[in-house]
Amino acid sequence: MARLEIGPGDPRWLKEFDGPDEVAAAARTQRRIAVGYGLVFVVGVLAVPALSLTLPWWSQSRLLGGMSPSFVTVAGGLYVFFLVLGISAARLARSVEGRMLGTSDDDEPAL
Amino acid sequence: MSGLDAVGLSILGLVVTFVSLVAWRRTRSTTVDYFLAGRRTGVVTNAGAICGDYLSAASFLGVAAAVYASGLDGVWYATGFAAGFVPVLLFVAAPLRRLGTVSLADFLAVRFDSDRVRFAAVVAVELVILSYLVPQAVGSGLTWDLLVGEGIAGLSPYATGVVVSTLAVSGIVVIGGMRGTTWNQALQFGFLLAVVIWLAALLWAGGFSYPGAVEEVSADPLEVAVEDELEQVPDRLQGGEARFGEPGGRYGPVGQLALLITLVLGTAGLPHVMNRYFTAATGRAARTTTVWVLGLAGSFYALAVMLGTATRTLVAQHADEPWLAALTVDGVLRVPEHALLVLGRLLGGTPGLAVVAAAAFAAMVSTIGGLLIAAAASFGHDVVGRILRPYGGPREAVLAGRAAVVLVSALAAVIALVVEPTRLLSTFPSVIATMVTWAFALAGSALTPAVLIGIWWRRATAAGAEAGIWVGGALAVGSLVVGLVTEASPADGLGAVLLAPTLIAAPASALTIVVVSLFDQSTGVRPHVWTRLHGTADDRQAERLAWMTLRGDR
Repeated sequence: MARLEIGPGDPRWLKEFDGPDEVAAAARTQRRIAVGYGLVFVVGVLAVPALSLTLPWWSQSRLLGGMSPSFVTVAGGLYVFFLVLGISAARLARSVEGRMLGTSDDDEPAL
Repeated sequence: MSGLDAVGLSILGLVVTFVSLVAWRRTRSTTVDYFLAGRRTGVVTNAGAICGDYLSAASFLGVAAAVYASGLDGVWYATGFAAGFVPVLLFVAAPLRRLGTVSLADFLAVRFDSDRVRFAAVVAVELVILSYLVPQAVGSGLTWDLLVGEGIAGLSPYATGVVVSTLAVSGIVVIGGMRGTTWNQALQFGFLLAVVIWLAALLWAGGFSYPGAVEEVSADPLEVAVEDELEQVPDRLQGGEARFGEPGGRYGPVGQLALLITLVLGTAGLPHVMNRYFTAATGRAARTTTVWVLGLAGSFYALAVMLGTATRTLVAQHADEPWLAALTVDGVLRVPEHALLVLGRLLGGTPGLAVVAAAAFAAMVSTIGGLLIAAAASFGHDVVGRILRPYGGPREAVLAGRAAVVLVSALAAVIALVVEPTRLLSTFPSVIATMVTWAFALAGSALTPAVLIGIWWRRATAAGAEAGIWVGGALAVGSLVVGLVTEASPADGLGAVLLAPTLIAAPASALTIVVVSLFDQSTGVRPHVWTRLHGTADDRQAERLAWMTLRGDR
């Protein structure tokens, strides 16, 4: 923790700490968020080859010039999907941390 | 080598040397300073450095080549590389940084409170680094042979390339440490991105239509040059002949799944990439850095895919030009990895070729630098500083790290020199991309399960992690050896699983960790370690200090 680096002689010592209970609760929430977004990621990525195997129009029809829906998705759409998913997950994770951690100043420090 | 090639490579060398010397003046002999750049790397700089670390020559030349040769199935290579950072963002980046460790092996050792886990992780880390480093050294030798064609001091051109690149990059890393490596990697990624944007701009200025190009190259069956003849590529999904814009040109269903899993899971276990997260100022910064990486790497790969498609049409249109005729068979490149180099010359003449060649060298140099600094941290901090001489102090660890840079680069160079280059030349740099995939497989099988489970399951114990690392690593290495000995096909079926074994080795490793932990009598993670992993006290403290510094408070 930061106080290990700052040292007890420093006036900032123990200014910031997290209680074990609030960290445990935050970790559980973060795990639910990560798993939820992870499932969306897996479904989004695996849907593309799955559609190629099951629906001929997905890879044989033409959406944009000579590009099939499959080509458009793999060559560009998935990168946008990854970025949007990443931004959304990072914002939610930060928001959860802000709401669940650093609020119980009277707790005992975790050391 | 033309004069322009020499100028391009000389400018690249001078910039890298200058940056390393500046970094050396600012680096002190402390563990945090030499291995972690003082933990003060900014978000955008770190994102650029991670991309520079991640994008080797296999990515720079290999993605366009894979698209050129295999159409849509080649595009999946790029998608898999980019997708690997999504699990890193969701599950790894912030907790990895928050524990405050120095290397990936150190992270696992502190989380599981075990030097036995540290030892197992160091073995896996060093194997991954060598798997990644040898093909980069081979690539340097072959690129020197291709572009320069002359040896120095009685060495063959290939050996000269291996020796020069190894000496140069190890010198840069010994001098500049993580700070110099970071700045060089960020600059070199900026150069790579600028080159692909420049090529795309030249294409669009010439009236290029991406959808039109896909339509044009998909009109006829996909063909590849085999020696002096063209062969039609079989469709591995539907049967018949493959077409550029449709799946099936490279992989069957199992092959595609095996490749995707290997690339997606492998990224979170790559020591040279994960070590970069320890240089971030806070866990939040590490997470934000990954969002930037997704944007930057995604942009790079999307453009590289377009350039591979454009090369397919342009080479066919210009195949009668004498210099190109020598490289093609009836309008199809003999060596797909020449795609981006040929496109550079088609769009920008000889200067265009020189720029793309310099970018290929930059890609190799930045990756080698990242691998060597990861080897330094693993050996200097984990082996010497924690296992062999725990009371030796940071100066000794840094000295051991610098020695490790020299030893590991020398070992990689010797292996690269022993490998017969003429045998590899026909497939260069497909061999590089293939060996890099093995490194992903090993990382994803041995390290990623322990990292993920260690972060998110309190009950996971040291005995479980140690067993999981050995089981995952042994399965991955065993599968690869069996696949290579039996000359298995990576396209589909059992061969695909053997040559991209993460599909079976990672679940086996994870299952081992869970089962051994459940039967283990110890209690799992220590409470203060869990609090550091998932708490934000350090982040808040660091952000407040940064804010106070900006305001000029005392």
